[in-house]
Amino acid sequence: MTNYGLVIDQERCIGCQACAVSCKQENNVPMGQFWNRVLTEGGDKLDTPAGGYPEDGDDGTLDMHYQPTACQHCENAPCVKVCPVNATYTRDDGIVEIDYDKCIGCRYCMAACPYNARVFNWDEPEHVPEEGTGDVEARPQGVVEKCTFCSHRVDEGLDPACVVNCPADARIFGDLDEETSTVSKYVNNYETDRLLEDRGTDPKTYYIRGEMSPGRPQTSDKLESELDDDAMPGVPAAKSGGDD
Amino acid sequence: MNDPQQPTLTPLPEWESEAMDILDGVDYDAELGLQMARDAIRVSNGELTDAEFHEKYHEDVLAEFGEDNRPTEPEGFDDG
Repeated sequence: MTNYGLVIDQERCIGCQACAVSCKQENNVPMGQFWNRVLTEGGDKLDTPAGGYPEDGDDGTLDMHYQPTACQHCENAPCVKVCPVNATYTRDDGIVEIDYDKCIGCRYCMAACPYNARVFNWDEPEHVPEEGTGDVEARPQGVVEKCTFCSHRVDEGLDPACVVNCPADARIFGDLDEETSTVSKYVNNYETDRLLEDRGTDPKTYYIRGEMSPGRPQTSDKLESELDDDAMPGVPAAKSGGDD
Repeated sequence: MNDPQQPTLTPLPEWESEAMDILDGVDYDAELGLQMARDAIRVSNGELTDAEFHEKYHEDVLAEFGEDNRPTEPEGFDDG
């Protein structure tokens, strides 16, 4: 059975926010909201590093790391368990999705999500341009929304927008249950961790830290499973030991 | 980074106050939402089973929402 997951290579991520912007555009995410954010680990503010600039000929100590964060599409998703009307549900392919027609806006799912990855339409959603962007219908006021792994694209055999538009090839999407998929190989062969693993939510988003992977290998916007082998140059059978 | 509209990674001790902020002013029982959120994490952790979680809140969910369509309902569950 298909079980979709995402690998994000934090050694490749350059913090450019292309994933956040392309997500917002593709999914018609209202003004003031983001489904996909690149958090920073460093200074006190989003765009400030820790440490200091070089002074008096000494080396500086500036330090910043990027933490791309969105719905983790957990196997044991607390958001799914608390929804009284079954508006939040897990698809057969593992994607956690919201039926906006069923959502009553109780926000219990938001309280239960340890990743704070959900947003609520407090007001009538505002879009620029007014007719919206991308290929997803706008959600109404009073419902919760979040990352869907671009399920509308996945259903068409395409990778999520954030994956296709990452200029650093740091995001790799695919079937975690297919042992030959790149996501499975990376999870098995590289040092990965998942966010807040102590919560037991079993997230399907994995982060590579340490040794850099070759990144997303395919050159098309199609899902890897839709590609011919010839169209997948550089898919590593095992850890390759560096960037390609 | 405390805007509840933005995803953050909140340390567990601070999670409860953040969850209370999220549920502040909700049209439904905020305390019930907080308790269910807390126990849903316990289910994920394996401290509570789906069935125990479902049974624990079934009456309250029915009373608050008039329905209980959570996927945690065990097979053969008597909701009478």
